[in-house]
Amino acid sequence: MAALEWIAVSKRFRDRPALQGFSFALPEGASVGLLGPNGAGKTTALRLALGFCRPDAGVVRLRGAPPEDPAARLGVGYLPERLALPPRAGVRALLRLHARLAGLDGDRTREEIDAVLALTGLEARAGDRCGSLSKGLAQRVGFALALLGEPRVLILDEPTSGLDPLGVRDARDWIQAARRRGCSVLVSSHVLSEIERTCDHVVVLHAGQVAASGRLEALLGPGESLEDAFVRLVRPGAAA
Amino acid sequence: MPSAPAQFLALTGEALGDAVRRRVAAALAILALLSLAAVDSCTACAAGTFTVNGIPVDGSRIFGWTGIALYALLALWTVAISGALASDHLQQSLDDGTAQLALARPVGRGVFALARLTGALAVSLGTGGVLLAGTALFLHARYGFGLGPAAAAAAGAALGAIVVSSLAMTASLFLPRLATLAAVFLAVALIAGVNGVALTGTDLSAGWSALDRFAPPLGTGVALAVAEWSGRALPASPPLVAARLALWALLGPALLCFCFRRREI
Repeated sequence: MAALEWIAVSKRFRDRPALQGFSFALPEGASVGLLGPNGAGKTTALRLALGFCRPDAGVVRLRGAPPEDPAARLGVGYLPERLALPPRAGVRALLRLHARLAGLDGDRTREEIDAVLALTGLEARAGDRCGSLSKGLAQRVGFALALLGEPRVLILDEPTSGLDPLGVRDARDWIQAARRRGCSVLVSSHVLSEIERTCDHVVVLHAGQVAASGRLEALLGPGESLEDAFVRLVRPGAAA
Repeated sequence: MPSAPAQFLALTGEALGDAVRRRVAAALAILALLSLAAVDSCTACAAGTFTVNGIPVDGSRIFGWTGIALYALLALWTVAISGALASDHLQQSLDDGTAQLALARPVGRGVFALARLTGALAVSLGTGGVLLAGTALFLHARYGFGLGPAAAAAAGAALGAIVVSSLAMTASLFLPRLATLAAVFLAVALIAGVNGVALTGTDLSAGWSALDRFAPPLGTGVALAVAEWSGRALPASPPLVAARLALWALLGPALLCFCFRRREI
């Protein structure tokens, strides 16, 4: 069973098609990078995967179930592109709330919260209000929320946004640690170098359709970087 | 799978905290205190006898009516304010993205919407409750009005607040904030006004009569309760009105859950 699957999915927003017949499956334990130029449909694909919106045609399955079913989202960690933390909530209090929403039991909650705080380097800021944090620290809180409770599926939209070089390196380590646990990871990003370092599969979306997908090395031509391949795929005229 | 009641409690706490931290909540609390001070002042001149055209009249007979009208108005004010506070309490969390973070968890849309509604209602009914309880105590101490009708009117206002808040929250999923806010005040004023006219026995045209019969009986529910103080019987059946209010108080949140489940976020 795929961790996450889109089957012939189409989605329009008013007259604008966001996805057209999009099919892709995220295998269990795999790490896949979702690439595409702005407006290619990446965020729509992620919103569909979490049940935030419904496809006009086709089927989306999250761990084998429709994502609108709350049970399907059990064990899913999500980091949105535009992370919005409640400004007056404390970091630990926010993690506690999400632990309860995720169904972590009482004894495990504290351990899990301490573990993600330590992992993301936020132990000293646990009592701070989210509104007082810099963008980079807020992004670390976003990662802590996504990693809380050792998720089985991790959906990350522009995960390194706002992180300094140390934070970017840490984020890479967190993603790779999740993969070692067998977590399936889907990363949507414009930072191609990060995709190269964290993912072994890539899907390139262009105008709502899959322009290419497969293992990273299979997508690259001889001597070609991921950036070259990306440009070749989404702007064929520029490849020559 | 996490239990829905535990999730509801956690989200309600969060929604209550959000509502308390909003500036409008502080404004409501101050307004409630100022209103209580005004009620204290308005009801202070109950004692004594007035001479009208040479005939001595007990002060409570004049000012008692003011008290009844005042209590009914404050109950309806509580209903309207509840709707106003709820009108963007769900939509705001969608706009700022905090709802999406919670809904990426195994949380049902219905649980989330009802938690936001409960959080907003806790603040509005809390302040409204203090205002109505204080007013009822003044009326009881100064005019000897019974507390039973006051409690019944407050219960009617609470049910009305649930109805208006849930419908306002539902409307906010489709309408801009200002339009929702205007709709809340207009609807409460219109329904209460039509209810009031109908209770005087005036014949209404078909449209107004339908509004009086089928819309949530916001004004009738409160008026029937406080009318007991005057000893006058009003042309409406209290059990039927209570049943209609209770039915609307179930339908409103059900409609909210139905619409929010279909809303794309």
